[in-house]
Amino acid sequence: MRKSHPIRRVVLATAATVSGVVLLLSLKPASDPGAAAAGVVPQQTVGAQESPQGGAAATGTGTVDGNPAQTEYGIVQVRLTVSNGKITKAEAVQAPKGGTSDQKTALAIPKLNQEAVAKGTADIDSVSGASYTSGGYKQSLQSALDQAGG
Amino acid sequence: MTTTLAGGRAARRQTMRRIRPRRSPATVLLLAVWAGAAGVLYLWWHNTPSVADDNSKILNAGRITGLLAGYLMALVVLQMARVPALERRVGSDRVARWHAMSGRYTVCLVLAHVFLTMWGYALQAGRSLGDIVQQTIDSVNQLPDMGKAAIGTGLLFFIGLISVGGIRKLIPYDTWYHVHLLTYAAVFLTFWHQISTGNDFAVEPTAKTFWYVLYGAVTALVLWYRILSPIRLNFRHRMRVEAVIEETPGIVSVLISGRKLHRMGAQAGQFFRWRFLAPGMRFSSHPYSLSAAPRPDMLRITVKAIGDHSARLRELTPGTKVWAEGPYGALTAQRRSRGKVLLVAGGVGITPMRALFETLPGASGDITLLYRANTTQDLALWDELAAIANDRGARLMYAVNSPDGERPDISAERLRQKLPDIDNHDVFMCGPPGFAQSVYEALRGAGVPARRIHHESFEM
Repeated sequence: MRKSHPIRRVVLATAATVSGVVLLLSLKPASDPGAAAAGVVPQQTVGAQESPQGGAAATGTGTVDGNPAQTEYGIVQVRLTVSNGKITKAEAVQAPKGGTSDQKTALAIPKLNQEAVAKGTADIDSVSGASYTSGGYKQSLQSALDQAGG
Repeated sequence: MTTTLAGGRAARRQTMRRIRPRRSPATVLLLAVWAGAAGVLYLWWHNTPSVADDNSKILNAGRITGLLAGYLMALVVLQMARVPALERRVGSDRVARWHAMSGRYTVCLVLAHVFLTMWGYALQAGRSLGDIVQQTIDSVNQLPDMGKAAIGTGLLFFIGLISVGGIRKLIPYDTWYHVHLLTYAAVFLTFWHQISTGNDFAVEPTAKTFWYVLYGAVTALVLWYRILSPIRLNFRHRMRVEAVIEETPGIVSVLISGRKLHRMGAQAGQFFRWRFLAPGMRFSSHPYSLSAAPRPDMLRITVKAIGDHSARLRELTPGTKVWAEGPYGALTAQRRSRGKVLLVAGGVGITPMRALFETLPGASGDITLLYRANTTQDLALWDELAAIANDRGARLMYAVNSPDGERPDISAERLRQKLPDIDNHDVFMCGPPGFAQSVYEALRGAGVPARRIHHESFEM
């Protein structure tokens, strides 16, 4: 039953929380350490989402998440798996859901994933009938590529 | 009506066993809470490979505060679920203080989360901080479950606002309490957006499962301990007002009869939350301590008529139905670690002390009661206390103001003078906050270690 010091408590809690968050954020690297620094090579099997590994020793596989992009119908976020400078896999870890979005997402996302692996850049074709999703996908894909150094 | 001696002797005989103080689980619980928070932060850590630019920093800060707020919200609700392990072992008053502090902190985290996330989204959409309001409107409209979350969050902020000290005093307690209950609705509404828009849940299904388990468990505990268990208790024991006795002007005892009341496991020093089903009292529930050892057919509470609820107790008619929840409270014989005990009561704080005075096991000379009141007329239940003291060889002392209104000297020196071996006593205290604080300081000054001073205070 010691004397309570409410103001002291508030100041301490605020300072601790703010410094904790800042610390956590600063401990993260600015870009994904697993991604290779070299540019991506656009020689992939057309239409496939994943490609066989190259003959040369891989510098390590890394995954990169693009920033979540907001669209009218939901968030799209792209995750790339990069190995030895090539995009070997693209997937959407967030995509619009609910209502008619489920169907559109189911149709559009696989196509967009294929395009991303095939082209290796964010300059991919939109899927007709899913222009918002395509737009958000491209945005997130670009930020993922930026982070991968490609 | 004798509510004391026979019950007292029997109760003491039954409980003559080795004194083994039970530790409060507070430290273990706090460690578990911190471990959970670390786990939640690890969830963010694991799912975030990098934090690129300022925009990303802001979004991630929003994510971290959101995760922590979601986790803590479940714990805030859990603390008020009236879980017996918390109420009886940590202590209802202490848990209520924790709830108030963690509730305030969580609301602040929610505020930070909303601000940071909306700012982050605005930047991402190429807007600036000034467009944050427009961004909020857009996000609420576009993202799944955000409409519900917006209503829930607004409700939460409103509840937080009216709980601020200055504003709370302006509202009658029962009104404030019923509005506060809407927190359940706010938590329900905001839960869904965590699952559907939470970045870390989309990516890791195990995290989603964990969140459902956490909130599901808290819901189950609330349903059981706040609703179903009290229903069962009241149907089983069927408590009724038996009689209302005026002890002194302004202090009233209410005798409550029921069936197999001993099965509730109430101990001296504990309290129940009482609801009297009489006109004008039906919608308020108040905590009052038992003022005598509980008997299988009778419980007694003694109340000072300070507020409008306690004043109405005087008019209760015998036969009125009573809805009780409990027993709660950790101010019991289980906290004791020494053979000698000093009980200190200030004003109406005599109630739990009177019950403990009757039942605490002890040989002649082991138990001492110090009763502080304004005048000798205010020493309620004095005759009973004197009879108990006589019967069991306990010491009974009182401290009242002098005829010219001068306060009695309850200082460290005086306490040591009256009880030379006071530093080898356990001390149980109950009284108004100012009194309790000054007695606490005097006891510490007299050499009583803090761990042997047990008290209950409902001041927030």
